[in-house]
Amino acid sequence: MSKQDSKGRLADWFRQWRVPLRKFLVGRGAIPASDLDDVAQEVFLRLMRYERAEIIENPQAYLYKMASNVAAEWAIRGRYVRPHESKWLAGLSAEDRAEDEASQVELQNEVERALLTLAPRQREVLRLQFFEGLSRMQIAERIGTSERSVKRTLIKSYEMLRVKLDAELLKGITDGRE
Amino acid sequence: MDASDRRKRVAEEAAEWWVTLQGDVSRARREQYVDWLRESPIHVAEMLQVAQVHGALEEFQRWSRIPIDGSREDDENIVTLPSALRDPEVERSQSEARPRRPFVWAVAAALLIITSTAAVLLFGGRGGVIQTERGERREVALADGSVVQIDPETRLRIKYEERIRRVFLDRGRALFHVAKNTERPFLVESNNTTVRAVGTAFAVEQQDNESVLVTVAEGKVAVFSTQPLSTAVPATPNSAGSAEMHTNVSTGTSAHPLAESSSPAGEPRSEGESPSARLPNGAAPEIYLTANQQVAVGHSGSAQPVHAVDSGRALAWADGRLIFENSSVANAIQQFNRYNRIQIVVNDANLAHRPISGVFSAADPESFAAFLQSVARVRVTHSDNADITIDAIK
Repeated sequence: MSKQDSKGRLADWFRQWRVPLRKFLVGRGAIPASDLDDVAQEVFLRLMRYERAEIIENPQAYLYKMASNVAAEWAIRGRYVRPHESKWLAGLSAEDRAEDEASQVELQNEVERALLTLAPRQREVLRLQFFEGLSRMQIAERIGTSERSVKRTLIKSYEMLRVKLDAELLKGITDGRE
Repeated sequence: MDASDRRKRVAEEAAEWWVTLQGDVSRARREQYVDWLRESPIHVAEMLQVAQVHGALEEFQRWSRIPIDGSREDDENIVTLPSALRDPEVERSQSEARPRRPFVWAVAAALLIITSTAAVLLFGGRGGVIQTERGERREVALADGSVVQIDPETRLRIKYEERIRRVFLDRGRALFHVAKNTERPFLVESNNTTVRAVGTAFAVEQQDNESVLVTVAEGKVAVFSTQPLSTAVPATPNSAGSAEMHTNVSTGTSAHPLAESSSPAGEPRSEGESPSARLPNGAAPEIYLTANQQVAVGHSGSAQPVHAVDSGRALAWADGRLIFENSSVANAIQQFNRYNRIQIVVNDANLAHRPISGVFSAADPESFAAFLQSVARVRVTHSDNADITIDAIK
């Protein structure tokens, strides 16, 4: 499998995974972070049941797939558990169409706000990766540093965004929907 | 290190893995990653969190509005945002969101892969109670590195003392993978029966008829009956037999002729007599079980004969599998209902008595219903709360 194929497949997995997970989190309307922890707990148990050798080939794909399955299963159960909340039930059944505008705006605002708390160098590296689609090596060349340094900057940025976005991001999406 | 520190460190590790995995990764690194992932559900949770961040960045559309002035002046070590710039609002809402269900996470944090050697020491020396509900299975790492797989509707109390590791199984069943420590025996007590292990894997189950079923997967264990000390040791000085018994157990383990063969080489041997001989009451002698053996011990200490089992099958429940061999549909459904929130109901006596065989995933009652549909003329319906009703088609 070529590098490109592998990356493309990973990206596919990632997108597939996010849909059911978000459906689930949005559907809950509870504190999203705790729901993600619950999902993680179940994913963890399922990871135990697989042969290590089997997972190693493409560990991220397994992770996404399992999280996706768990979220989808629980979303179904959740629908039965809370049948009275017709508001988000409607949201669930219409889930296949694009996100409604309000939640998109919320998300954009939230990410923008979080990005502005980062250092300029971090913002630039993220922008080069996500907006211009450069590889780490290309980013390193562009800003005149090593690939290793770009990697460190990315890691640090993710770490900080995780703190900034945690719960609030998802809450924003939920509010937009309800 | 408290829980939030740990969580923070894991978040850092997760971010590092995420970014690393975006590039080309050697097999050795992927192995490391999988091992890391399987060490704790917190690792999985933080990995999912980073994925959320990544997803948000992918969907972000206003990059052109994000200023990057001053990036060139950035020094590597300014990458960390000075704490003065942190948004107190965000910090506060974080801490408000956190406190939910600390216990669940304490337990979750202690979950560990069986083969892993790194134990999370959240259960500490204090011990604690672990209780599972219907439909809930749990895997918990104890302070010494032992791992317990706990079935639904089970209650365990952990009491680690300096020289002895004690677990009380109040109800239900659990599979114990015991970390080897010859100086500190591992005892599981349930309904007057005690099972002692040095380093092994075995299951203890309290059955409906109050007897205790012990199944060994690896190594050897000793099973003995213990009557309440108040009746068994009327006037022994030195605060009763309990402390004395523990001492004996820890030094005398290898003295028993059967235990000897299972003892690891080099284990200190004692000239003492078998521990059973010094049990306060001596109500029943010890029974030794090796891998693939099973015994049921009654409340009064009377044991059924030891019999051979395929421990892989007998303990399949620990892996979330249900195996039925000529079991009635009613019995199978009872098992499924223990493992799931979704409950199955059968409305036909003939069907309920029908014998079935097969291997099923305990978490998947739907597949069982589908199986019944494939072998019998039945109608499967789902109620509003997802419960499954099975009727015979007349």
